[in-house]
Amino acid sequence: MESEELQGIIDHYAGEKGALISVLQDLQGVCNYLPEPALRQVSDALHVPLSQVYSVASFYNAFSLKPRGRHHICVCLGTACHVRGAPRVLQEMERQLGIRAGDTTEDMNFTLESVNCVGACALGPVVVADGGYSGQMTARKVSPLLKTLGTSHEENQNDS
Amino acid sequence: MPTLTIDGQQVTVPEKTNVIEAAKTLGIEIPHYCYHPGLSVAGNCRMCMVEIEKAPKLAIGCFTPCTEGMVVFTNTEKVKQARKDVLEFLLSNHPLDCPVCDQAGECWLQIYYMQHGQYESRMMENKIKKSKKATSIGPHVNLDQERCVLCGRCVRFCDEITKTHELGIFGRGNREELDVFPGKQLDNRYSGNVVDICPVGALTDRDFRFQVRVWYLGVQDSVCPGCSRGCNIQIHYNRNRPHHGHGRRVARLKPRYNSHVNQFWMCDEGRYGYKFVDAGDRIISPMLRRGAELQMATWGETLAASAERIRAVNPSQIGVIAWPQLTNEELYLVRRLFVDGLGCKNVSFSVPSKKDGGGDDFLITADKNPNTRGAGEIGLPIADSTGDILQAASRGEFKLLHIFGHDLLSSGLDQPLVESALAATETVIFQGSNSHLTVDRADIVLPSATFAEKSGSFTNFEGRVQRIHEAVPPLGDALPDWQILNRMARALEMGWDYQGTEHIFKELAENVAAFSGLSYCVLGDQGELLGYKPTNEAHIPTEPVTTVII
Repeated sequence: MESEELQGIIDHYAGEKGALISVLQDLQGVCNYLPEPALRQVSDALHVPLSQVYSVASFYNAFSLKPRGRHHICVCLGTACHVRGAPRVLQEMERQLGIRAGDTTEDMNFTLESVNCVGACALGPVVVADGGYSGQMTARKVSPLLKTLGTSHEENQNDS
Repeated sequence: MPTLTIDGQQVTVPEKTNVIEAAKTLGIEIPHYCYHPGLSVAGNCRMCMVEIEKAPKLAIGCFTPCTEGMVVFTNTEKVKQARKDVLEFLLSNHPLDCPVCDQAGECWLQIYYMQHGQYESRMMENKIKKSKKATSIGPHVNLDQERCVLCGRCVRFCDEITKTHELGIFGRGNREELDVFPGKQLDNRYSGNVVDICPVGALTDRDFRFQVRVWYLGVQDSVCPGCSRGCNIQIHYNRNRPHHGHGRRVARLKPRYNSHVNQFWMCDEGRYGYKFVDAGDRIISPMLRRGAELQMATWGETLAASAERIRAVNPSQIGVIAWPQLTNEELYLVRRLFVDGLGCKNVSFSVPSKKDGGGDDFLITADKNPNTRGAGEIGLPIADSTGDILQAASRGEFKLLHIFGHDLLSSGLDQPLVESALAATETVIFQGSNSHLTVDRADIVLPSATFAEKSGSFTNFEGRVQRIHEAVPPLGDALPDWQILNRMARALEMGWDYQGTEHIFKELAENVAAFSGLSYCVLGDQGELLGYKPTNEAHIPTEPVTTVII
């Protein structure tokens, strides 16, 4: 991300008190994560100490300090999903992608995360992939899901 | 001025006083971690819970202002249980590594666990591992995240006092960690204070770590000699484990509360500037030049030789360079001996330093001497500046130079001038604590005690006279400067018989107008301003303040 682009985001909130979280949200939206140089720029521009910017950035789950992949997969490990086999779904995801929950594949295609409840317990085990909910997941349904995501990604690339 | 009742005792406190402070005035201690009187209130540790009549729940003492008619209980079953529960939470991820923790003995987790905890551990789960263990986060401070109770005192110190904002609490929930921003350092001129205010072993002092266990330390009140501010300090000295800490007798300096001077704080320069007390270059014996070299001698020989040389010359041929590191009492004796006694007219005390003292707008002043103001008030310099005295000496006008402490050869003075002045003067007497280039040029060396080894008083730049006390005895044969001057005057048959510094101070207060009305009793432990006017009310010395944690 160019610093001019970030400056644009910051200017958008110019003069607003407590603009920090809004700026970080927009930055996260554009970059998919919060790059360190950008945090420094935000700190300078908003006159908020770097340690405080970092406190906020590391507190909220919505912010990531590591680059995230193009596709974001969340496996729910809440109680309902857990008893219906979510750990096996997560295990299969980890096996197929070759990463641990919380990490991103080397080709920057997928980021895998686990969450503690997405509020759709009736559908459990639930996987939220790029904002889309897949219910009654099993280990066997992991491969087709990843394939669909991968294809949509290629389609997007062909479109552009 | 609300009046409230705490544990059955009535107390009237100023508006906006919180319950912790009100209880303190009654001698009731409400346990707390995050609250510190010098910082803003955070209210996050939940340790200071008290029961307030008619309130539905327990309230935190730090954030509850006293109101008229409030009835507070600090020791009910409900309160005790709350403290126990809070401690259980705070200790749930604590490594319990007290045997290897430098804070042991002055750790508020230990103290409060023994007073208020004493529960059986119910932790079955694995403890959360934090990322930094025994990591240095700056030139003076070490961080152990797993010992941290996340009270945030250090964060608030860096935000509110130094305004440097190095520290922050990052992450969330049980993975929260105290740290600096990646790649940054806790490197400001007051960083050592975070160690003092850390109630646990999370932040420890790199200088003090593993030198000596704190329960072997003795404590003596004193004043920092590092600059003209005169921050109130405690000298923590190694009392009975001389084989610990590599022979360091003074183990560390800690700030001591004084609302007029330094509040709760002191700078790193002062805090770590005491090393000269036990340094290898201390002069531990009087010395006389015999032929080309300085040889050890007894006090009797040395003082007799000094007296003989002083007597042999005309007082106008004596130059004296006193030292603003000397106490008021000692500077007064310098005046009494050389000016009033011998009639010498050439006495100066200030020597420019090579580098700028770098004062700031908080505590640090540019003048690195604790008693410049005192020297001025006592009537030194008499005639000329040190530069003028050296000019005269280099022209051969002086037969004898008496230099106190200063290393003229590494000062900001014109070096060729110093060289020629030392070379042109027949007798150079040096009186000081540590050896340096100028000492090598002396003919008579009188070893003196450092600030930690003597009693007396300093006058800070605002004119506040504050007492220092002897923490450790003078090293080797060294003597406090006032004793050396006293003995020298006796060798010169001036009939002096000073019994101690209080005796000298009494005379000083009688003879020097600025000090009139002052006495050791009036100075107390917080000092008193020059020009003090006793009021009709009896002077009540303030209670000694313990500053380890407030």
